Amino acid sequence: MKASMFAAMGYSQRATFPATWPVAPVHADPATSVRSYREGMEECELAEDMGFDWLSFSEHHYSGRIPTGTPSVIASAVAERCKRITIALLGHLLPLNNPVRVAEELALLDNLTNGRLVAGFLRGTPNEDQVYTMNPAEGRGRLLEGMDLILKALTEPQPFSWEGRYYQFRTVAVWPRPVQQPTPPVIVGTRSDDTIRYAAEHRLGLGVSFLPVEQTAAITDKYRAWCEEAGWTPGPDNIVYRGSVYVAETDELAQEWFEGLQQSKPGPNIPMRRTVSEAINAARAGNAFDLRGVVAGSPEGDVVGNSLGINFLGGPDTVAKQIKEFHDRCGVGVIDMPFQQNKVDHEAVLKEIELFGRAVIPQLREF
Amino acid sequence: MVFQEKFQEKKVEADGFKLRCWEAGQGRPVVMLDSTGWRGTILHDALAEKYHVFSLELPGMGDSSANTVSQQMGDLAATSAKAAAALTTERYTLIGTSFEANVAIWQAVQNPDQVEALILVSPTAIQPKEAPPGATAQDVHKMMFAHSENADGHAALSSEVFAKESELARRLGSDAESKLGDIHCPTLAVFGQEDRLVSPEAARVYREKIPNCNIALVYDAGHCIIGDRPEALLNTVIDYAEHWETFIIGHQTGLINP
Repeated sequence: MKASMFAAMGYSQRATFPATWPVAPVHADPATSVRSYREGMEECELAEDMGFDWLSFSEHHYSGRIPTGTPSVIASAVAERCKRITIALLGHLLPLNNPVRVAEELALLDNLTNGRLVAGFLRGTPNEDQVYTMNPAEGRGRLLEGMDLILKALTEPQPFSWEGRYYQFRTVAVWPRPVQQPTPPVIVGTRSDDTIRYAAEHRLGLGVSFLPVEQTAAITDKYRAWCEEAGWTPGPDNIVYRGSVYVAETDELAQEWFEGLQQSKPGPNIPMRRTVSEAINAARAGNAFDLRGVVAGSPEGDVVGNSLGINFLGGPDTVAKQIKEFHDRCGVGVIDMPFQQNKVDHEAVLKEIELFGRAVIPQLREF
Repeated sequence: MVFQEKFQEKKVEADGFKLRCWEAGQGRPVVMLDSTGWRGTILHDALAEKYHVFSLELPGMGDSSANTVSQQMGDLAATSAKAAAALTTERYTLIGTSFEANVAIWQAVQNPDQVEALILVSPTAIQPKEAPPGATAQDVHKMMFAHSENADGHAALSSEVFAKESELARRLGSDAESKLGDIHCPTLAVFGQEDRLVSPEAARVYREKIPNCNIALVYDAGHCIIGDRPEALLNTVIDYAEHWETFIIGHQTGLINP
């Protein structure tokens, strides 16, 4: 099994942010930002040295928790420091982006890394529908068409025009062509049936994030069945699971950290005003939204959001066992983990990466 | 129906055939070689708003009698060109769909003085996929659409017309590919991304072989693009008919609040 570090590149003072999304830029001190990205790159270098297989990067917006709105920029910077490891863009939020531009970025990165790129396609979390004022109801359609267009743009040797539902380009001729032919490996991050089926039918990989093992298995079981229907069997690198991790020298120390985290009441991961959150979800589902009904039922400024738990928690042996369950039950071949958690500073992250590489990765190699 | 109100049916003679033709509009001439069942669409209506449109039914196709005279694709193209010349003395834009696009290729090559621009919609000159053995007209009809509900909204060929047209296509062959390099007018080749009768991968061959060729891929459309994505086909064809190879230049405004 392979290990991937999700390089969140978090702003080091993220614990001080107010409980809102977006986080106002006034909270970003440039000097602290510069230091934070430098620390994030040091974490990447250590991960490569400790035997991690992939470094992953994701597009997220308007917060210092994962301040990589243009993931290919940070990925290319890291790729110049880390010369051997696979660079996984997991990934672009396709509904927000010009698919041709994404194809160009992927092709360029595959050249800069001499074929070390893995690409990922995502719809994005509901809050991110706001980022470029996209209609949330169009997100799924844009994702499906965007994937088709990117794959065509990466593989078509002649200039073509694209007459889509959401995209129209009269001249597409992507340069350079990818080093990996016909395309770099692609992971589709999804929980939705139509997108899982798309991945299976197009022989693409699948990425699942943060769900418990049984819910993950329900998704990967469908994916594997639909792959078989499409005439192929996914390999280990085709199923990626992203889960948060805290690994300590012992189970007790890990539990101690977790209890401290709970006592600090960290709040929701993506805190949003209730009206906006419910309006986005209604729009995604194509439902009407009654603003006044929500306002009447909740105090002004009410904030909602999900608190993400820790998927893998414990000493090295415990964490390895927890990961093995995803491997055995779900067919996961690549485990992708953010080590930057609340109440874990840069020095502590480095210690965790070192410990994971020394004591967990050798166990992952056994399965 | 708008088509019947707008278009006048007439007959035109060529090579001893009496071809049915539907005519409407004013302006530069556009000659359409429509596949059976693909006539009378919003594309025809839209073209007739700007152009003098002639939609021809080729001998052996649709409701016409079986064509036992034409022995090669070039013969049928010559008949089509003579009919077009009888309808208009001006140079015209030629639009061919599916099998008729192969005829259009030959017609453009044989009559460079007549054809000023060529638009090929789902042409079958290259890599036509074989229908399953024993496939009926209904089977092939379903294969033409990316979405079955669109197939339900269009009438399939009768078994008699299907057999008649299939026999003609077999006899004439599909060697239009060898002629692509001899097309010297501006050309657009349009393919549905989900075409199950012709691989859209073939599009690049048109681009490679025709000296001035653009290829357009219509997302989420099968072989019968007009059935799956009519607005997308209409916009593409209208833009190309108007601007030829400069249709790649965007003219829609991005201005939101002046």
